[in-house]
Amino acid sequence: MMDPIEERKLLLTRRHFFSRTASGVGIAALASLLQEDARATAPIAMPGLPGFPNFPPTAKRVIYLFQHGAPSQLDMFDYKPNLQKFRGTDLPDSVRMGQRLTGMTAYQAKFPTAPSIFKFAQHGESGTWLSELLPYTAKVVDDLAIVKSVHTEQINHDPAVTFFQTGFQLAGRPSMGSWVAYGLGSENKDLPAFIVMVSQGVGGTQALADRMWNSGFLSTKYAGVKFRSGHDPVLFLSNPQGYDSGARRRFLDDLGKLNELNLNQYQDPEISTRISQYEMAYRMQSSVPELTDLSKEPDSVFEMYGPDSRKPGTYAANCILARRLSERGVRFVQLFHRGWDQHNNLPKEIRGQNLQTDQPTGALIQDLKQRGLLKDTLVVWGGEFGRTVYSQGTLTDTNYGRDHHGRCFTMWMTGGGIKGGQTYGETDDYCYNIVKNPMDIHDLHATMLHCLGVDHKKLTYQFQGRHFRLTDVTGNVVHDLLRA
Amino acid sequence: MHYRALFTLLFFPAALLCASSSEVEFNRDVRPILSDKCYLCHGPDAKAKHIPLRLDHEDTAKAALPDGKRAVVEGHPEQSEMIHRITAQNLGVRMPPSYSGLKLTGKEIETLRNWIAQGAKWQKHWAFIPPKRPPLPAVKNTAWVRNPIDAFVLERLEREGLSPSPEADRATLIRRVTLDLTGLPPTLAEVDAFLNDKSPQAYEKVVDRLLASPRFGERMAFRWLDAARYADTNGYQYDGGRDMWRWRDWVINAYNRNEPYNQFVLEQLAGDMLPNATLDQKIASGFNRNHRINTEDGIILDEYAVEYVVDRVDTTASTFLGITLGCARCHNHKYDPFMQKEFYQVYAYFNNVPELGRGMKYGNSPPVIPAPTREQQLALDSLNQRLQRIKDGIEQHARSLDHAQRAWEQHLKEETPQFWAPSRDLIASFTFDNKEELKPIGGAVPFVAGHLGHAAAFDGKAYLDTGMVPKLDIDDPFTISTWIYSDSTPDGSVVSQMLDNPKGKGYGVHLDHGKVQVDLTSVWVSDAIRVETEDTLAAQRWYHIAVTYDGSKTADGVHIYVDGQPAKFKVLMSTLYRPYRNAGKGFDEPLRIGAGWGPERRFHGRIDDVRLYSRVLSNDEISALGVGESIAAIAHKPAADRTGVEQRVIRSYFLDHAAPPEFRDAWRNIAGVQEEKEKLVRSFPTVMVMQELPKRRETHLLIRGAYDNPGEVVQPGVPAVLPPLPPGVPNNRLGFAKWVVDPGNPLTARVMVNRFWQMYFGTGIVKTVEDFGSQGEWPSNPDLLDFLATEFVRTGWDVKAMQKLIVTSATYRQSSKADPEMLQRDPDNRLLARGPRFRLPAEMIRDQALATAGLLVEKIGGPSVKPYQPAGLWKEISMQGLDYDQGHGADLYRRSLYTYWKRTVAPPMLTTFDAATREDCVVRETHTDTPLQALNLMDGEQFLEAARFVGQRMMKEGGSDADARLRYGFRLALDRFPSPAELDVLRSNLQFHLNYFANSEKAKQYLAEGESPSDPNLNPRELAAYASVASLILNLDETITKE
Repeated sequence: MMDPIEERKLLLTRRHFFSRTASGVGIAALASLLQEDARATAPIAMPGLPGFPNFPPTAKRVIYLFQHGAPSQLDMFDYKPNLQKFRGTDLPDSVRMGQRLTGMTAYQAKFPTAPSIFKFAQHGESGTWLSELLPYTAKVVDDLAIVKSVHTEQINHDPAVTFFQTGFQLAGRPSMGSWVAYGLGSENKDLPAFIVMVSQGVGGTQALADRMWNSGFLSTKYAGVKFRSGHDPVLFLSNPQGYDSGARRRFLDDLGKLNELNLNQYQDPEISTRISQYEMAYRMQSSVPELTDLSKEPDSVFEMYGPDSRKPGTYAANCILARRLSERGVRFVQLFHRGWDQHNNLPKEIRGQNLQTDQPTGALIQDLKQRGLLKDTLVVWGGEFGRTVYSQGTLTDTNYGRDHHGRCFTMWMTGGGIKGGQTYGETDDYCYNIVKNPMDIHDLHATMLHCLGVDHKKLTYQFQGRHFRLTDVTGNVVHDLLRA
Repeated sequence: MHYRALFTLLFFPAALLCASSSEVEFNRDVRPILSDKCYLCHGPDAKAKHIPLRLDHEDTAKAALPDGKRAVVEGHPEQSEMIHRITAQNLGVRMPPSYSGLKLTGKEIETLRNWIAQGAKWQKHWAFIPPKRPPLPAVKNTAWVRNPIDAFVLERLEREGLSPSPEADRATLIRRVTLDLTGLPPTLAEVDAFLNDKSPQAYEKVVDRLLASPRFGERMAFRWLDAARYADTNGYQYDGGRDMWRWRDWVINAYNRNEPYNQFVLEQLAGDMLPNATLDQKIASGFNRNHRINTEDGIILDEYAVEYVVDRVDTTASTFLGITLGCARCHNHKYDPFMQKEFYQVYAYFNNVPELGRGMKYGNSPPVIPAPTREQQLALDSLNQRLQRIKDGIEQHARSLDHAQRAWEQHLKEETPQFWAPSRDLIASFTFDNKEELKPIGGAVPFVAGHLGHAAAFDGKAYLDTGMVPKLDIDDPFTISTWIYSDSTPDGSVVSQMLDNPKGKGYGVHLDHGKVQVDLTSVWVSDAIRVETEDTLAAQRWYHIAVTYDGSKTADGVHIYVDGQPAKFKVLMSTLYRPYRNAGKGFDEPLRIGAGWGPERRFHGRIDDVRLYSRVLSNDEISALGVGESIAAIAHKPAADRTGVEQRVIRSYFLDHAAPPEFRDAWRNIAGVQEEKEKLVRSFPTVMVMQELPKRRETHLLIRGAYDNPGEVVQPGVPAVLPPLPPGVPNNRLGFAKWVVDPGNPLTARVMVNRFWQMYFGTGIVKTVEDFGSQGEWPSNPDLLDFLATEFVRTGWDVKAMQKLIVTSATYRQSSKADPEMLQRDPDNRLLARGPRFRLPAEMIRDQALATAGLLVEKIGGPSVKPYQPAGLWKEISMQGLDYDQGHGADLYRRSLYTYWKRTVAPPMLTTFDAATREDCVVRETHTDTPLQALNLMDGEQFLEAARFVGQRMMKEGGSDADARLRYGFRLALDRFPSPAELDVLRSNLQFHLNYFANSEKAKQYLAEGESPSDPNLNPRELAAYASVASLILNLDETITKE
C-alpha cells in the first residue's frame, strides 16, 4: 500500500543501483540482491496526504464501538424521572409535532408513553446519571463526554448506518475509516490502516453491508479490512493445509526473483509495488495471528473484560483485540456489535445486550488508560439512531418495545483530546426533541477529524467533478467536547 | 537530494497535457481553473447565493457589475477586477476567499492574466459542442501509421519529440488482444497458429476470430454490468434475491450479434415503448430496473420511490452522457450549466413507472414480465402444437362424438345428481354430501339441503375446521370456488387459511355487508392485498363465488367472479412483499369454512361445494362451475335450449366419464398437455422491466432534493445547454432515448468510445470517463477523441468495428516495455509512446486461472452461480443469518460474469481485485495493488485448485522431463517460454517442493483444496510440487497483467 510517487522514488534508486552493478554480478546473485532490496524497501508504512495532519492532533487513532441496531438512550443514559407520571398516556401532539414515523408504528392507533423500568443513579465525581444496565461504564464515567443530543434525519437502519459510516445515506461514498486511512495513512507496516470486527448480539438483529466499511470512490487500499474470528482472521490469510511458513517464504523468494526479472524487462514501477504487497501479505501471515492470539494475555485481562472475552468473536474478545490493534498503531478500528433493534421485549433484550457489552467497554477504557494509550486514542460509542419514548406494541408493567427515533439519542466519546466527565446537550421531558446543543453526524465527524488533527473541510477527494468530503457540505467541530 | 529533481520530472507530464505553448486556449487552460476554483460560488448556482458575478457565461463574466467594475476586460488584465481580486494582498478581498479552502497557484494566476491579455476569447464547453471529424494530421513517420488512430497519436508524439515503441512480440500480442476481446487467454494452439502464420493478415485474422467468438459478448457485458449496477439481490438492508439474469443475457447477446450501439441504448432506455416491442426489447428496458430496491418494513414509500427515479437519472446520465446530472438534484449544478429544474425535467421521463417505494422481499418487484428463454419458448410452441393436434383430432370426429353423446344423454337418469367440475389441481373439495369428517368448532354445523345436494349450515358462531393445511404461500396461485346463501345480507368469513382474526396472516374470502372481499395478508396493514366487489350480494338467494389469485403478489393478480361472471372490484390494498412463512417462521393454519375474521365475524347462512385449486382456473371453467345444474337436468333440456356454458358442462362431463375410449383418451391428453404447459409457464424466469403509467405521474421539483418537499410542477425536457429533442419525437422516455442516440448529441458517441479506450489502455482519452463536464479532465488527445466519436456514428454505431479499429492500430500493438526516460516523461502513458500495461480486471484474473487449468466450464447465460467463497461471510452480517449456499460441479467453474452478486456482501475475490460493488453505477476502471490480493491468489481455494490442475497438465501434457514440464506450465499461463534465468528459478523451486512434499501427509493435505479430484494415477508428491510451481506461475505479476 505504497504511494505511487514513493514507489517511483524507490524504483529509481533501484534502477540506479542496477546500472552501476548489474554488469559484474550473476543473474541469481542479482536477483537475490534485488530481493534484499525489495524487502528493505517494503517496511515503509502507507503514507497519508501531504500536509496532513493539518495541525497537531490530540488523537493518533480511533476505536469506534458501533452499537448496531440503535440502543435505547432512554433506558441507558437519558434519565427522565418526570416521565413516570405520564406512564401509559399518549405522547402529546405538542411533543410529536407531526414528525414522521417509520412504517412500523405509523399505523399504530396509540403512542403510550413508556418510561424506562430501569433504575438510574449518579456516578463518579461528575455525578452523571446512568441506568443500572451500565455498572462498568459507570466506573469510567468521569472519562466520558456523553452527548445526549445527537440527531439524524434517517429512520431506517440501512440508510442510517450508511450515513454514520459515510456521511451520506445512499451507497457509494467512502466510509469514515477509509477517509482517515486516505488522509493520514498507516503507522504500521504489517497491518491494514482500517480494521473492522463484527460481533453478534442477543436482541433484534439487522443487516450490515460491506459498504459500511468500503472505500467508495477512494482506492480500495483504504477499504476497511474485516477481521473475523476463527481460522482466517483475514480472508485467505492462512497457507493451505500442508504448506508451512518456510515453504511460503521460499515461494515468495522465488516469486520475487521472477518478478524482478520481469521488472528488468518492463521497468514498470507497478511490479515493485506488487512485490512489496506480497511481502506485506507474508508479514500479515505472522503479524495477524500473533495479534489475534490472546493466549499470552494474562488472566487479569480476561477477568477485567469479563467471561465472554475468552470466546473468540465476541464483543469482549474484540475489545481486547481493539486494544492490541491500537497498541500496534492501527489508525482506525471499528467494532460493530449487532442486536440493539428492540421493537419488542426491550427490557429483556437490552439486559442481554448490556451483559455482553458493558463490562468489556468499561474494561477497554480502563485498559487503554492503564497502558497510557487513552490519551492519544479517541474512543467513540453509539448506534445509528435512538428509540422512541412511546411503546411499540403493548405496554405492560414489565414489558415494552421502542421504535426507531432519530430526533435525539445518546453517544459518548473519550480519550485523545476529549474532555471527560461532562454531559453535552439536553432533550425535552419526553426525550423526544432536543432542547439544547444539538449535534448532527457531520458535527461528530468534524469533531473526530479535528481530534486527529484534520480540518474536515480539507480532507477532500475529487470525484465526478466535485470535491467530496466526509462531512458533505456541513459539519462543525463541537469544541465544547474537547480539552482546552 | 536527487529526489527533488525527480519530482520535477514526475510532475512534468501533467504539464504535457496542458498548455504546451504560450497561446492560451479557453477550454483547455482557463475553464478548468474557473470551474475548479471559482464556480462553486460564481457558477451556475450563483443566483441561489445572491452573487451577482457569474463566470460560467461569457456575457455575465464580461458585463459591468453593480458597482460598475468588470471582472474581465478583454485585452486588459490591469483593468480586470478578476485579476485585482486574485492577486490582492488584502486577504479580505482576495479571491478565492480563505474560508473556501481553495487557492490559486501562481501558474494559474499567470494563465488567467495571459488569457485576458490575449483577448479573453471564450469557448462553449468543448464536450457540449458536437464533434466534427478532424482532418488527418500530417506526420513524419508515415510508415508507422496503420490507421487514423495512429496518425493522431503520432502527431502528438512527434510534437513532444517522442517516438512510438516497436510492435510487441507475437506471443505478447496475441495474449493481449485475446484477453482484451474475450476476457480469456488464448490456447497454446491459437498461439502457435499465430506464430506460424506468415501472412500479412495474420493479426487481423486473429482479431476477426475473436470478435466472432461468443466470448466477446461475455467480456463486454461485464463492464456494462458495472455501469448498469446489475446484481442478483435487491440491496439495502434485507438484500433478498432478484432475477435479472435474462437482462444480463440480453446484454451478452446484443454484443455478440453486434447490435449497433444506438439501438443498444435505445432499447435499454425505452425498449418497452417501441412500437410492437418484442420480448427482447422489453427485457432490454430492465437496464433501468437494476437499481437497488428497498424492502424494509419501516420505510416511507415515497422516500424510496424518489430514490429509484434519481438513481435512473444518475445512472443514465453517467453511463450514456458522461455528465454528473445528479449534482443538480438539490440545487443548480455548481460547475456545469445544469439547473435544478432541469434535473427534474429529466427525472420526469423516468418517473412514470407503475412501482411502489417498497419492493418484494424475495424475487422481482413490479413491473415484471415473464421472460421465457428461447428453449422455453420453443417448448411452449411445441406444446401448443400438440394441443392443437389433439383438438383437431377430436374435431375431425365431432359428428361421431355428438352422436355418442346424444345416445348417452337418452339414458341419463337422475339417481344421485351428478355435477361437473374441473378435477385438475384440485387440492381440497367439500361437497357436504357424504358425512365428511369436518370438525365443527364452537357449536354444531348441520348439513342441510343445499344448492348441489347438501350444504353446511352456519349459525354465526360455529364453523368447520377442515383439518387440512394447504401448502400455499404468497407466490402460489390458487382458486377458491363455493356457493353461499344467507337469509339476511351476506356477511362474515366464507373460506380462509389465516390466523383467525380480521388482521390475520394468510388469505381468505369474506363477505362484508354483502360485498365480496378477498384478503391476502402478510403483515397487516403495510403488507397486504385487499380487494372488494363494487356490487352487493342480496339476501335469500344462492350465489356462486369464485376467487382466483395468480401468485404475483399484487392485486392485479386477483380476480373475483360472481355466478360465473367476472365481478367489478376495487383495490383497497395492493401489494404483498413478505411470505407468510417469512424468516423461517411457520404458517400452519388450517383451511376453515365459515371463519377467518375471528369470532365476531362468523358466517351466518349456508355454504355448499367448497373447492380449492392450486392454479388459476380459466373463465370458461369458472363459468361452468357457476352453472349449478346437474348433468341430468341439462340433458333434459333440448339441445337448442341449452346455453353455451351448459353445452360445455355436459360435453366435459361426457368426455370425463362416458365418451368412447378414444375420445376419453384424447380428452385426458388435453388435460395432460394443459398441465405441462402451465407447469412450463410457471417455470419461466421473470425480469423487471420499465413500463409507462397510462396517465403521466406529475413531477415536482423537489426542494433541496427532499422527497417530502415538492416545489413547482415540471414537464419532461432535456437540459437547455444540450441540443433540443430531435424533430418529430414524442416528449416522453422514448423521445428522450432517441435524443440520447441522435447523431447530433455531442456526448453519447464520445462517452462510449472513451470508455472503449479505457478498456484497452487503462485510462480514457478523457480520464474522467464519468464526467465530461467542466470539472472533467481535458482530453489528452481531443482530435483523436472526436475522430473516434464521428467514426463510430459514421459506421452506424458499429461496436465490433470500433473494437477492431482500436486493436488493429499500431498504437495498440506497441510493446509495453518502457525505458526510464519514457517512464519519467509519461509515467501514466497518456501519450501512448508504448503499449498498455496494467493489472487485469478482477473477473479476468479468475477466468484466466480457470482456463489455464482446463477447469473453465463455458456456457452462455442462465441463472447466476455460487462458486467457492469462505464460509460464513454472508451469515456474519446478513439478515436472519442468511448464508451462502455454495454450488458444486460446473457452478464452481463458470466465468465470473455469472457469479452470484449479493450487493451487501459482494463476491470477495472480485471486490478485492477492484470490481465495482454494484451498489450504484460505476464506469471508471481502477487497478489497485494490495496484500489482500496477494493472499487471495496464494491461498484462495479457487486458485489453489486451479494451480493443482495446471500442475496436473504440466505432468500429463508437458513431456517427461522436468524442464519440459516447467516450460510448458509457464507457457500455459504466459504464452511465452521462460528465459534461462526464469527456468533456473522454476527448476530450483520445483526441487525445493519435491523435497518439501517428500512428507506424503503434507502432499495429501496440500492437494485436498477444491472439489475436482486429481488424476489418481499421478504421484502425489510430484503433483503437489508441480501444483506449487503452478501456483507460483499463477501469482506472477506478468500473469495477472496485460503486457
